[in-house]
Amino acid sequence: MLLPKFDYHAPANLEEACQIMAHYGDQARLLAGGTDLLIALKKNRIYPSQVVALDRVGELKGVGIDENGLYLGARTTAAEIMEIDFGPGGEALVQAASQVGSPLIRNLATVGGNLATAMPAADMAPPLLALQASVILERYGDQREVELKDFFVCPGEQVMLPEEVMSVIYLPQLPESTGGAFEKLGVRKALERSIVSVAAVVSLAEDNRTIVDARIVLGAVAPTPMLATEAAGSMIGKKAVAKNFAAAASIAAREARPRGLRTSAVYSRLMVETLTIRALTRAFEAASK
Amino acid sequence: MKKCHITFQLNGMTTEVLVNPNQTLVRMLREDLGLTGTKYGCGEGDCGSCTVLLDGEPVNSCLVLAAQVDGHRVTTIEGVADGDNLHSLQASFIEKGAIQCGFCTPGMILSAKALLEKQPDPSELEVRTAISGNLCRCTGYQKIVEAIMSTGKSAGECSSSNEEKCQGEG
Repeated sequence: MLLPKFDYHAPANLEEACQIMAHYGDQARLLAGGTDLLIALKKNRIYPSQVVALDRVGELKGVGIDENGLYLGARTTAAEIMEIDFGPGGEALVQAASQVGSPLIRNLATVGGNLATAMPAADMAPPLLALQASVILERYGDQREVELKDFFVCPGEQVMLPEEVMSVIYLPQLPESTGGAFEKLGVRKALERSIVSVAAVVSLAEDNRTIVDARIVLGAVAPTPMLATEAAGSMIGKKAVAKNFAAAASIAAREARPRGLRTSAVYSRLMVETLTIRALTRAFEAASK
Repeated sequence: MKKCHITFQLNGMTTEVLVNPNQTLVRMLREDLGLTGTKYGCGEGDCGSCTVLLDGEPVNSCLVLAAQVDGHRVTTIEGVADGDNLHSLQASFIEKGAIQCGFCTPGMILSAKALLEKQPDPSELEVRTAISGNLCRCTGYQKIVEAIMSTGKSAGECSSSNEEKCQGEG
């Protein structure tokens, strides 16, 4: 499979990247990990005249911490995320990163790319939504912050303008007694697009039993990764026990909007319920440690 | 389409190449540099036959543009042996019968090499996870897993120390 023709840019810093994107707009595509972009090019799904590789842009790599939370460079790879301690609740993101593609893919694929391709089954989107992440979008001379819950539009589309570059993903610091978990269902263990995935993040009161905050996010069962807000809301103030997890899971199954494309909608909902129970149970275990 | 002039370390040698921007790493290695040990399979990152080490980490070279390796380190299967002396992994693959058609072998060995450099004494699960992006349609994986595990640290210690003692413990 040959790639279509394009010119190649390798900006040395974020400002230069933004300048190039401002100049070429929708004729240019950003190259982060390449695991989606190169396939889209090979299959002639896109025909950019310019490809802008972000490899050399140091600002997009690694982790920074301030008093409010953590900044994760958008070009950080899934393999690198597996080695980061994100603090309370962050287990969900680490678990999701460790299930992206294969080890070979995880060494290339980036968190920013996983979000920007906006696939309903993207592994890292549910945990980041559950962790209340927002993304910083840069363009030449300007910057904006978008909450991840407002980021996705439909399969393959998000709110980024053609000239924008995602620089960092911001994760607010969550209370100490918070735990997270990610569950993914596929037909095989590697190189698998989720049939259903669920991320859960739970915060407990001082008694270590009462739920004070919860987020449940469903992947691959709606046009975009979706917050199961009713299911999560049903748990606030309740005890973290199996009965309440099961009740929330059945609400989540109802909230899911599967289109029955890869599996039947009935099966998807059943799996949402099962995976939600598992995710909540493990998130609670992580929170009460 | 302006060509890109790149300089990188290929199997320990500084290499300069002029490449087309739309050239993938696997095609540059095979077609421009004649290193056909790296195999071209699916071209979509699913099969792992094009695995190379990029700065020591295994990646699908069909999903990397040649221009992206400018300033980086690339190791292909040709850079694994030391002259005529096979790497212990290569010897082990032969000894354990872990090669049938051989198409997946370069990728398997590079994924395994990266694993053993990080984790010299891997569990079976770690081995199976490390090669989960490398498909083999011949062996059923068992002999590949055995070959990698027998190259691991504890296996190495075993063969280098008193063999009888090891067998006694085993």
